[in-house]
Amino acid sequence: MHGWGLTHRIEQLSQDALQVGQGSIYPALVRLEQRGWIDTEWRITENSRRAKYYRLTTAGRRALGQELASWSRFVSAVSLILAAES
Amino acid sequence: MPYQLRAVIARARELFRRRSHSAREQGDEFSFHIEMETAENIRRGMKEDEARRAALLRFGGTQRFREETSDARGVVALDNLARDARFAVRRIRRAPAFAAGVIATLGIGIGAAVGIGSIVYGVLLRDLPYDKPEQLMRVGFSTDGLGTSSDLHSAASYFHFVKSTRSFSELGAYSTSDAFALTDRDAPQGVTIASMMPSTYTLFGVRPLLGQLFEPGDTSASNKRSAVLISENLWRRRYGADPAIVGRRIGIDHGDRIVIGVLPRTFAFPTPSIDLYYPMPVPVKHPQITSRYLNVVGRLRDGVTPSAAEAELNALIPSLAERFPAITPDLLQRARARTSVESLKTATVAPVHSQLVLLGVLVTVVLLIATTNVVNLFLLRTERAGPEIAIALSLGATRVALAQRFVIEGGVLGLASAIIALPAAALALSTKFGFTEREIPRLHEISFTWHTAAVVFGFAILIGAAVGLTGLTRAGLGGLFDRLRSSRTTSSVAWRRTQNALVAFQVAIALVLLVAAGLLGRSFWNLHTAKIGFDPVNVMSFQVSLPWGEDGYVQYARGAAFHAKLVDRLAALPGVTAVGVAARLPLAGRGLPRLDMQLQADGKDGRPVVAAAGNLASADYFHAMGIPLRAGRTFRSGDLRGAPAVIVSERLAKNLFETTDVVGRTITRLRDDSPPTPFTIAGVVGDVHWARIEDGYVPMIYFPLLRDGDGLPLEASPVPFNVTDAQFAIRGTQLPAASTIKDIVKQLDRRAPVARVRSLGSLVDDATARVRLTMLLIAFAGGAALLLGVIGVYSVVAYAANGRVREFGIRLALGAAPARVGGMVLGNGARLVAIGTSAGLIAALGATRFLRALLYEVEPTSVAEFGLATALLVVLTLVATVLPARRAARTPPATVLRGE
Repeated sequence: MHGWGLTHRIEQLSQDALQVGQGSIYPALVRLEQRGWIDTEWRITENSRRAKYYRLTTAGRRALGQELASWSRFVSAVSLILAAES
Repeated sequence: MPYQLRAVIARARELFRRRSHSAREQGDEFSFHIEMETAENIRRGMKEDEARRAALLRFGGTQRFREETSDARGVVALDNLARDARFAVRRIRRAPAFAAGVIATLGIGIGAAVGIGSIVYGVLLRDLPYDKPEQLMRVGFSTDGLGTSSDLHSAASYFHFVKSTRSFSELGAYSTSDAFALTDRDAPQGVTIASMMPSTYTLFGVRPLLGQLFEPGDTSASNKRSAVLISENLWRRRYGADPAIVGRRIGIDHGDRIVIGVLPRTFAFPTPSIDLYYPMPVPVKHPQITSRYLNVVGRLRDGVTPSAAEAELNALIPSLAERFPAITPDLLQRARARTSVESLKTATVAPVHSQLVLLGVLVTVVLLIATTNVVNLFLLRTERAGPEIAIALSLGATRVALAQRFVIEGGVLGLASAIIALPAAALALSTKFGFTEREIPRLHEISFTWHTAAVVFGFAILIGAAVGLTGLTRAGLGGLFDRLRSSRTTSSVAWRRTQNALVAFQVAIALVLLVAAGLLGRSFWNLHTAKIGFDPVNVMSFQVSLPWGEDGYVQYARGAAFHAKLVDRLAALPGVTAVGVAARLPLAGRGLPRLDMQLQADGKDGRPVVAAAGNLASADYFHAMGIPLRAGRTFRSGDLRGAPAVIVSERLAKNLFETTDVVGRTITRLRDDSPPTPFTIAGVVGDVHWARIEDGYVPMIYFPLLRDGDGLPLEASPVPFNVTDAQFAIRGTQLPAASTIKDIVKQLDRRAPVARVRSLGSLVDDATARVRLTMLLIAFAGGAALLLGVIGVYSVVAYAANGRVREFGIRLALGAAPARVGGMVLGNGARLVAIGTSAGLIAALGATRFLRALLYEVEPTSVAEFGLATALLVVLTLVATVLPARRAARTPPATVLRGE
C-alpha cells in the first residue's frame, strides 16, 4: 500500500478521529523502514502512476505482535484503574 | 539483529548514498500523495485549485515533513559532523601558530614512533616468515669446560642428535663463509656461501624458484654432478634473471659448479646476503667435539615444548661417547657439554634485543613528550578562548556539544599532522636509519606498507581527539568560570596543578634521558680511549681470497709464497714502511671471539688446559700493526722446523705460566682427533682486543706464516690455519690506492678477489659504532626532552607570575623587598624542578639497569653521571625561572594599581 492509501485507510478506520497532518506519516514510515519492520518498493499504480509501496516484513509482523500485546496490556491496565476509580 | 543496530547501519548507508537521490524520491512521494488527495477532492466536487489548496492544507506543510523525514534518516547528525569539522578548520586557521605547533609536534612524534616502532615490531615481535614459525628452534651445543664460548655443533654431535632425537621432526645444519669468489665473467666477485644439510630446506618448507633442490647424491663425498643452488638476488644481479641458468656451469674459485636451481628471495636464510648454497657433505670424518662449525636449527614435532626437547637432547649427550668411541665420557664430563634449545626468532634477534627494546622505549618517550606538549598547547588555548566558551555555556550549550567540538578540533589537527607523520614514517622505513643486515637481523623483511599508513592515520586521529578532549577537563574549563566571575586574569588551581604536573613529568623524563646519555657517553669515551693494543693510525687493511682446487693454494707453502710475493710488491711502493699478513685482524670480525685453541704449558699432564684465540702472523705483522714486542723476537725463516715457533700474547703467557718471562718454553696444543703437538715460544707480544672492544683482551697465540713454507714438503701443514684467506695490513706515510692494490693482486693471480679495502681506523670506529649510535639517539631524545622541559618550566612559572602581578604590586607598595617578591616566583619554579628531579632520579635508577649490556667500564648507577645530569638540568631550569622572577621583582606598583 502506498503512503496516501495508508493515510486514507487510517482516517477511514478511525472514522476520522485521528486527523493529524497527513504528511506526518512519512517520517514515521522512514523510522519503521530503518528498523527493518517494513519494506519499500516503487511500483506503478492501477492508473499507471509511479508510487512508493510499503509492506510489512516478517520482523515487522513479529514487532507488531509484540506492540499489540503490550498495547492491550496497557489498555486493560488503564481500564482496570478507571474501573476502580469510578 | 536488534533494530537499533539495524537503524545504525541504515544511517551509515545513507552516508554513501547520493543525498540528492533520496531527496528526489521523497519529493516524488509527496507530490504523488498531494495529487491523489487533489484528485479525491475533485471527485468530492471541489474545483481544481481549491482541491489542491485543501490537499496541501491536509498534508500539513511539505517543507516541515521534508526536514522531519531527513532527520529520521539520520542525515542531520552527519551534516552536523561535517559542519563541525568545517568550523574546526575555520577555527584552526584563525590560530595558525597554535595549529602549526600542534601539527609539527604531533607529526614528528607520531612519524618517529610509527617508523621506529615498525622496525622494533618487525624485528622483535613479528613471526618469522616460514610455516608454523613457533616450531623452529636453534639448537646449541656448548662446552664451557673447554673455555669455548660458541654454541655451534661439531659434525659428530649434529649427527648423533639427528639419529637419536624424537623431539624434532627435522634437524638442519649449515655453516657460512664469505671467502668464496665467482670467477666467471670479467671481474672476480667475492660471494657469501652457505653450506647446508638438505634437511634444512625441508625444515623451512622452501620451494625453488627455478630448477630443483639437492638430491641425496649431491651430499656424498664424490658429489658427481657438483651441484650448487644460487639465490634469487645473485641470479638477478649477476645473471640478469636468465631463465636458462639451471644447468649452466659457473666459475667459482673453489672449483666450478653446475647450477641446479634458484632459491627465492623470501627464503633469505640465514641472512639475505647468501649468494650460493652448497650441499654439505654428510660423513663424519673425525668424530670430535672441539672443532665446531655447524649452526643447527630444528623443527619441533607437534606438541613438543622447547624445554622438553632440550631435556631430551641433554639426556642424549652421554650416548655420544657410545656412538663415537673417539669422544670419551671423560672428555664430555670435562667439557661440561650441554645443549640449548631456543626459538629461532629469539636466537636470531638476540644480539640486538636490548638495543631495540631501548629504541622502542625511547620512541614512546618522545611520543609522550610530544603529546604532553600538545596537551599544554590545548590547555593554553582553552584558556585563551575562555570568554567565548564561557558565554556559549551560559547560553545553554550542552557539555556534550562542547565536547564534540573539542574532540573534532583535536581530530582534525591530528589528521593534519599525518601530513608530516606519513612521510616521516616512510622516510624512517625506507632509510632504516642507515642500518643494514649486518647490524640488525630481519631488516629486509620490513618496509612501508598500507598497514603502516593505516597505523599512522589511526594514531593521528586518536591522539588528536584525545588531546582535544583534555581541553574540556575540569582543568581546562575550571578557569573559565573563575574568569566569568571576576574580570581579572587569574587561573584556577586545578588548571595550574595540571600544568605543573605535566612540566614536572617532562623534567623527570629529561633527567632519565640525560643520565642515560651521560652513561653511554662515558662508555663511548671508554671504548674510544681503550688501549686496543695496536696503533691504527696510518694503517690500511684489505683481504685477499685465493682460489682452491687443483691449481689453487690449499697447501700452506703455495699460499705463503703468494702472500710473500704480494708483500714484496706492496712494500716496494713509495711511502710504505711495513706490510703484515694475518688470518684475521683484530676488531675486523663479527660475533664473539672463538677461543678454539686448547693449550697446555710444557705439555705436562695435570697442568690446566687454557683456551686461546689463534691467528697467523707474518714476520712483519706486529710491526705493521704496531703491536709491541715485549720479549724474544718475531718469526724468521727456520721457525717451522722441529717444534715450530709460536708467539704468545702477554695474557696467554700469564694464563699458562703465571709470568711473561716465557721465551724458549714449550706449549702443547691438544686435539681430540690427533696427538698433541708441541710448539716453542719465540716471543711475547702485547695484548689486543680481538672480536669486540667490550670483551677486553683475549689470550692469543700466533703461528708463523713463512715464505715458501720454510722449505718444508708441500703436504706438510704445520699450522692449524688455512692460508687461502689472508688479511693484509699496510703501514706507511703514504698509503696506496685501492685500485693500485687490486692491480697488483690481479697481476699475481687474476682469480683472486680483493675485498674490504679500508683504513684500520675505520675498523676501530665500527667497533664503537653500536654504542655511539645508541648514545646519539638517546642524547638526541634527551636534548629534546631537556629543551621542552626548560620551555615548560619557563612558561608555567611566567604564566603563574603574570596571574599574580596585582598581588606583587600590592606587596611592593606595602613595602616588601623586591628580592622577596622575586624569591616567591623563584620558589614556585624551584618546587617544580625539585619534584621533577626527584621523580626523574628514582626513575633513572630503575631504568639504567636496562642499559647494562651497552655499558663499558661504567656502572649503571655511576654517581658522576647522575650528578652531572642532575646539575645540568637543575641549573638550566632554574635559569628559566630567573627571568619571570626578575620581572616580578620589578613590578611597578603604581601602574598595576592604577590599571585596576
